[in-house]
Amino acid sequence: MNSRKSRLVFCSAVAGGLVAALALTGAAQTQKSGAPFSPARLWDGKTPDFRGIWQVRDTAYANIEGHPAEKGIAAARSIVVDPPDGKIPYKPDALAQRQANYRNRATADPSLKCYQAGVPRAAYLPTPLQILQSPGNFAIVYQDNHAFRVFHPETRPHFDSADWWMGDTRYRWDGDTLVADVVALTDQLWFDQAGNFHSTEIHIVERYRMTGVDTIEYEARIEDPMVYSKPWTLRTVLYRIKEPGARIIEDECLEDANGVRHHISPYDPKNLLKSDYSRWKKPAKK
Amino acid sequence: MKAFPISSCLGFAMAVCVVLSTASSSFLAKHSTQAPANAPSPTLPRLPGGRPDLQGLWLKSAGGFQGLFIGSLDGTNLAAGGARGGGRGARGGPAPTRYEYTADAEAERLDRLKRGYEDPEARCHLPGVPRSLDQPGGLYPVQIIQDEKYVALLHEAMHDVRIIPTNDSPHPKSYWAWDGDSRGRWDGDTLVVDVSNFNGRTWLDMAGNFVDENEHVVERFRLVDAETILYEATITDPSVFLKPVEMRFTLKRVPADQQILEYSCLEGERSLQHYTEEDGGKKVRVK
Repeated sequence: MNSRKSRLVFCSAVAGGLVAALALTGAAQTQKSGAPFSPARLWDGKTPDFRGIWQVRDTAYANIEGHPAEKGIAAARSIVVDPPDGKIPYKPDALAQRQANYRNRATADPSLKCYQAGVPRAAYLPTPLQILQSPGNFAIVYQDNHAFRVFHPETRPHFDSADWWMGDTRYRWDGDTLVADVVALTDQLWFDQAGNFHSTEIHIVERYRMTGVDTIEYEARIEDPMVYSKPWTLRTVLYRIKEPGARIIEDECLEDANGVRHHISPYDPKNLLKSDYSRWKKPAKK
Repeated sequence: MKAFPISSCLGFAMAVCVVLSTASSSFLAKHSTQAPANAPSPTLPRLPGGRPDLQGLWLKSAGGFQGLFIGSLDGTNLAAGGARGGGRGARGGPAPTRYEYTADAEAERLDRLKRGYEDPEARCHLPGVPRSLDQPGGLYPVQIIQDEKYVALLHEAMHDVRIIPTNDSPHPKSYWAWDGDSRGRWDGDTLVVDVSNFNGRTWLDMAGNFVDENEHVVERFRLVDAETILYEATITDPSVFLKPVEMRFTLKRVPADQQILEYSCLEGERSLQHYTEEDGGKKVRVK
């Protein structure tokens, strides 16, 4: 923190440019740029204003560890920042399970069934999320499968007597950083399309911090003694979507004849019942 | 900085509602035909811009149109094999709504009534409007978060979300959704929401009552007192109904010690295991 302050004295003029440059390269390390950013406030004059529509720009949704390019998926480095080698510190048995998951990923990924994505996976999907906020309220709506999380104040205990798909979230403000404690996740979820996984013992501490007007640094510290030899941390950047009229659109899946569900856009005329459902709308009587 | 408790505004709200709660039960009867003049009420919780503060956790109160378990908007009693005239009035709710279907649509309704397993909500699809709010009474709350630009409805049921802009913006073109497209505006203290752009797939209840892609809904949300929202919806669909369908019920504030929970339907869905194959499920009928 001391070095951050001293840098501020000398570098504040270029800090904005530095953040922008790092953002352009997709770097997740903006907190080291030494530019403490003070976000706008809600109408209570206190609460940092995180409202907006946000989305990552990396391909961690495919694999949070570093990965080469595949068809339709750009190569990317690991978003795992701790340990420094970018590898999830699996226990040996768990690593074998991950490898098996990876081999079966074309059919075994729970997201293929249009399930809610879970935490932290929902944060770095290739679809946007919207932060809804007012003094005392904080919620994230994820476009993917219209999942949402209502963040509850940490003054209330976790509702952890059940396993949830999006976990149970309690939050507090640490200065201008929102710190969320997440437990009670089901073990039926993956972190990505590559089979990285956890157990019901998972405990996540998320940190949301605005590093500029249009960037939120997202960090999740993950511990799960059943699966990992030590806690580990992933970090990525959410970028504000600024196109006029941008919004979260409805994301629902339709079943095909085999009962397999597929995402369908509300902009696709096939989403209209009359377009694919012959029983209703019989020919008009003469 | 400590977190701001969600209930921070409730102390004021409760003091107000003690006075008004006795009046609220007769409110529906008094205002069943005409909304009162939009004179601002000094007792309502408000946001800094002056709009009524609809935020909080709300639950449709008893007497809603879709009753508990047997979901029928028009009094159809599923337990009695689909005969109309179920026990709505006996439970003290409003008189059954009578849909007036076109001839083709009435045939379609009767057909769907026999195939309740095709109800999209039974297959975990989004309920549409107004069914998202008209969930069986007392089961699933809705969390409302509001600012100067939108009113967001986070429904526990089906984790259905509507983020409603309150700037009276136009509906998009070439957009067809289960929940349609919602555009809101403030008419005095009443939030008026125009909902269009439906995809025609939703049912209004479990009893085969339905709409198609020509559905158009005008909703009115009015904070009656700090504990009560009066909800009214007018549903028109010229290819299904001969005249508009009116719906009205109240949402009551959920005590501050309760919270919205997660809903998962598709995840772990098992109902299809119990339907026989000929009913669209997976179970093989034993001869």
